[in-house]
Amino acid sequence: MMQFSIRRVNAIFRKDWKDLMKNSYIIFTLAFPLIFAAWIGRMGSEDPAFQTFPIHFALVIAGAFVQAAMVAEEKEKNTLRGLMLSPASTAEILVGKSALTAVSTLVVVIGSILLAEYKVPSPPLFILSILLGLVLFVTIGTILGLLSRTVMETTIVGMPVLVIFGMGSMFKAMTDNEMIIKAVDYLPSEQLNMIWMELDREMNISGTIDNILILLAWVVVSFVIAVFVYGKRRFD
Amino acid sequence: MEHVIEVRELAKSFGNKVALKSISFDVKKGETIGFLGPSGSGKTTTIKILTAQLHPTAGEASVFGEPLEKLKDPSYMRRIGILTDNSGLYERLTIFDNLALYCDLYGISKKSIDEVLEVVNLQHDKNTPVQKLSKGMKQRVTLARAIVHKPDLLFLDEPTSALDPVNTKHIHEGLKQLNREGTTIFLTTHDMHEAEEMCDRVAFLHNGEIKLFDTPQKLRTRYGSSSVTVTLKGDQVVTVPKDEQGAEEIYRYMKDGQLAAIHSNEPTLGDIFVQLTGRNL
Repeated sequence: MMQFSIRRVNAIFRKDWKDLMKNSYIIFTLAFPLIFAAWIGRMGSEDPAFQTFPIHFALVIAGAFVQAAMVAEEKEKNTLRGLMLSPASTAEILVGKSALTAVSTLVVVIGSILLAEYKVPSPPLFILSILLGLVLFVTIGTILGLLSRTVMETTIVGMPVLVIFGMGSMFKAMTDNEMIIKAVDYLPSEQLNMIWMELDREMNISGTIDNILILLAWVVVSFVIAVFVYGKRRFD
Repeated sequence: MEHVIEVRELAKSFGNKVALKSISFDVKKGETIGFLGPSGSGKTTTIKILTAQLHPTAGEASVFGEPLEKLKDPSYMRRIGILTDNSGLYERLTIFDNLALYCDLYGISKKSIDEVLEVVNLQHDKNTPVQKLSKGMKQRVTLARAIVHKPDLLFLDEPTSALDPVNTKHIHEGLKQLNREGTTIFLTTHDMHEAEEMCDRVAFLHNGEIKLFDTPQKLRTRYGSSSVTVTLKGDQVVTVPKDEQGAEEIYRYMKDGQLAAIHSNEPTLGDIFVQLTGRNL
């Protein structure tokens, strides 16, 4: 039976917090989206598509890249095996390892919104979309971290995946191919864009339900893949 | 006596390379068992299978009477301590913070940290970041982590390989104390002195096979020489058979005041290993 102890999740979270305070690479990476958001904010644009770009950037960099680096470092230094051979269950380790990244990313997303001077439409629905995006990108980061052997390798393994998943919308402007455009429409970044643009126009849930369900499907699929990859890493 | 580990015809291959060839053995509760063998003999593979880090290719094994699949259950991991060759530490954190994480995961008081640091002789370094420690000190921290929860069964893969004699002795005393308190210990080592000092029984592993499995004393007796070496005054050395005629000869040397020393010619575990396999440990 799968067990879940908040005490063990909290232990991993506190360990990661102490480690983060001494990890200048991660602190700088977390600060990077904020610098970008401040630059966007200084440009004074009121186009929501432009103003929300730092939010995507924060989810990709702070959510996925930081998580991938933290998980890969546990593998690189052979500390993940120690956790796996402790009484902590798969769920406790995955949630514990994701908790600090999730909190940090939320702080960076909020900071990016403020610095980019984006006026959030319909806060409850916007928050829901952010939470779905947050879980998705942290889970993608976990998968990338588990697949990489070293922290350095997360950049190589992660870059193509994160460009496609985080900034897929850019590809639409580069092609006339209907198939590619249709496929890009289903990518998480495009779904988030569609939700935010719809909320900007209507401020209600009716036009965003399909997008929220597609995002939810992405979350479920990525979570299943993360548990599968973790299980493969449990044994040599 | 209750068996903590039971292994039957366990085999493991990595592609075409055979790491373990159908080994069988039992470990009784409270025993300290040593697996001796050179690199590549299958020692670490055995530990990895018994701690559910590797699937066996064939055979069966149980720990605490349960099949290995059960070991994936976190409640079993609470009863086991593991020190492997690739046990890592959080380098930016202090020794205390590294051990505090495991105290929380095992649900035990952090008071155990001071006790266990005493065992590994690091009681004065608990607030030192791990990245500032020497290789030997790091090995002692990983050992402390493996025993901080006083496990029922402790797997140690080369526990003192990077340590100096003083710290090795200190750690042996700590492990003996843990064993006296009821912990069953399964250790692998290259070091025959460690095996002789620590183990109730030793297995000689060579090319994935257990060549011998017995107490160190019985092995030495079985493979001992049939003669003794007698040193006489004036440094003359003679070999005397261990029989009636030899006894009379030694009696004569003693009576004449010529005897300086008698050596039993008991082989070391290393000598027996060479005799059996033709190679050194």
